[in-house]
Amino acid sequence: MTKKNAALRSGETHVQAVRDAFPGAVLDAAWQASDQVTITVPKDMLPDVVEFLYYGRGGWLPNMVANDERPLNGRYALYYLLSMEEADPGFVTVRTEIDPHSMEYPSVTPRVPACVWSEREAYDLFGLRAQGLPDERRLVLPDDWPSGLFPLRKDSMDYRRRPEPVTDVENYEFLYEGQAEEVTGVPMGPLHITSDEPGHFRLFVEGEEIVDADYRLFYVHRGMEKVAESRLNYDAVTFLADRICGICGNAHSVAYAEAVENAQGIEVPVRAQYIRTILLEVERLHSHLLNLGLVCHYCGFDTGFQHFFRVREKAMDLAVLLTGARKTYGLNLIGGVRRDILDEQKLATIAFVRELRSDVEALVDMLMSTANFESRTAGVGRLDPAIARDYSPVGPCVRGSGFARDVRFDHPFDGYRYLTGLKARSHDGCDVQSRTLVRVEEFMDSLTMIEQLLDGAPGGPIQATGWRYTPHKYALGYTEAPRGEDMHWAQVGDNQKCYRWRAKAATYSNWPILRYMFRGNTVADAAIIVGSMDPCYSCTDRVTVVDVKKKTETVLTKQQLESYCWRRTHSPLAGKGA
Amino acid sequence: MFELFKEIRKAGDATIGYPFQPLEMPAGFRGKPEHKERLCIACGACAIACPANAITMDLDDEQEYITWDISYGRCIFCGRCQEVCPLYAIVLTTEFELAVRDKADLRESCAYPVARCSCCGKPYAAAKEVDYARRVLESVGGPAAADADAVSLCLACRRRDDALAFQRQARVASEEGGAR
Repeated sequence: MTKKNAALRSGETHVQAVRDAFPGAVLDAAWQASDQVTITVPKDMLPDVVEFLYYGRGGWLPNMVANDERPLNGRYALYYLLSMEEADPGFVTVRTEIDPHSMEYPSVTPRVPACVWSEREAYDLFGLRAQGLPDERRLVLPDDWPSGLFPLRKDSMDYRRRPEPVTDVENYEFLYEGQAEEVTGVPMGPLHITSDEPGHFRLFVEGEEIVDADYRLFYVHRGMEKVAESRLNYDAVTFLADRICGICGNAHSVAYAEAVENAQGIEVPVRAQYIRTILLEVERLHSHLLNLGLVCHYCGFDTGFQHFFRVREKAMDLAVLLTGARKTYGLNLIGGVRRDILDEQKLATIAFVRELRSDVEALVDMLMSTANFESRTAGVGRLDPAIARDYSPVGPCVRGSGFARDVRFDHPFDGYRYLTGLKARSHDGCDVQSRTLVRVEEFMDSLTMIEQLLDGAPGGPIQATGWRYTPHKYALGYTEAPRGEDMHWAQVGDNQKCYRWRAKAATYSNWPILRYMFRGNTVADAAIIVGSMDPCYSCTDRVTVVDVKKKTETVLTKQQLESYCWRRTHSPLAGKGA
Repeated sequence: MFELFKEIRKAGDATIGYPFQPLEMPAGFRGKPEHKERLCIACGACAIACPANAITMDLDDEQEYITWDISYGRCIFCGRCQEVCPLYAIVLTTEFELAVRDKADLRESCAYPVARCSCCGKPYAAAKEVDYARRVLESVGGPAAADADAVSLCLACRRRDDALAFQRQARVASEEGGAR
């Protein structure tokens, strides 16, 4: 039986299972790469099939991609990407077509909550309405965006155009899901963005306890997908992808390059695969040190913060040595990498790795023996495994709740295929402490990986040559960024540009679970909980606190919230709104 | 706690006196691109490769000069220009202090005269590029050198000449065939 399975293509068992469970549902099944299959199902069957694959076959949902395929086949299409992580690992994409006259499809969110942000976004950008979607608020577009303008439709607008604002006021409605008295018509304070990235959080509290929270992001939505489709050639998009995130841009760049390579069937030379993997791990080094530093900071252990950042500088120097830049490595091209790792760089890297290992071991010992760390992180910001299963969070967030999900081990790619003796890390405390411990262990693993990869990298070319460009083929590219999986879906067009590029950052999967992590904690813990998620920023720049009993609201500055997080006395809420 | 103090003592000073002391970047650091206008033949490869459109090439209204222009404000220091340049005329340096008081100072440009077609008189390429092509063909020698004169023609004229030559050849061949 196992022999027979091995002969099947990856994903074949899932396709067969869908065929058996829902006769006639699979209109088409096509493989884009050896581990990626897309099945097309009728619109009405969509929620059933996605739910079946998600809960019935061990699937997790990174995101859904909407696409305007009217120039190709006269319809819109939705692609629900599922990462199958139990038997027969691989990626199964459930595709459905939508008639441009109806523009509607049955929402999958009531069955699989992980779809919620993607379905909200599909309306914002394409005007595709999910029937039965519990939360139909805007996600990506600003409040002052005209309601009938859907920017990613192929016939909607030029990427340089900025429509006139239709309103002067922010009219986003923050939802309160708690049981206590209802809160209505809460006015928002002015949103002043200073140095950090913007995001508006609203905590619903009873006294000091957070009963619920809602938040809004995308204040700095940059429309990169539109720019990539209209302005850049497909081979320059790796450089744009490098700039999605200032911390883990290389992971995006690799994911995009591999999406195109998978779609076009480009064989990346093995040495280039090793180099990509080494750089992904170098990126993880500095990112995890940054977060460990922040954990110290939120625990009021600022000496630790300073020392983690001091050591982190060595990881940055290592990046400069290997790539020529501290961040935005810019080394990926479609088909390989641009810079080789020379022998002297290899030796220097090994020296850096040794130094980092001993330095960080000492710092971690210090952090663990700090009384504050235990008391401030244990049991705080609990992410229930059941919630985690429903929302498909990624990275140390989900691994701190007992799920050893890690793309590097679930779907080994590039150099990860050749590693030995390592496995995905997980802890089951479900709290801030567990997430931090996962990061500490992963940091050490990254050092081991870099050593193994440097040793094992074969010689040879670093760029593929001699492949054919075929328009309209699409596939997935994936990497494990420090915060979790980055998932890119790319389809190139017949004009040397991306026809559609969907970049899903790790934190996109993690935001929806934050409100559950907040619940039951005190206001003093809010900052450390956001920080433990390691979002691309952890700036609770302005938090509006609503007391549901007193029906008052107070706007706290970041400084107030942080200092309360350290001291836990002198509540900034004390005496307000009595 | 004692461990912590030991660590602090061991770490010593982690910072350096920059900007009062120089900060050296390692070789291979991708900093400000340096354009060597004497080497440049204004072929435009860098302008095509530049993902950020920091490098542009513009023909003036009189079509006498083509201007190579870089905006360091747009540059993302990827080094694609360096990779594609056939003459090493643009190289990334380790210089990273690019702040200026006036935004206009972020631009650098260089104008190159444009060559006109010796047949139709239309402008078709930078004179330096034409010159470079001629010198390469001559240095190769042999049949290639015989084509060196054709570089003074624009693409349209060259195509027409090629087509006429081909036609003549075909005619000669068919006449020979008929005579036999």
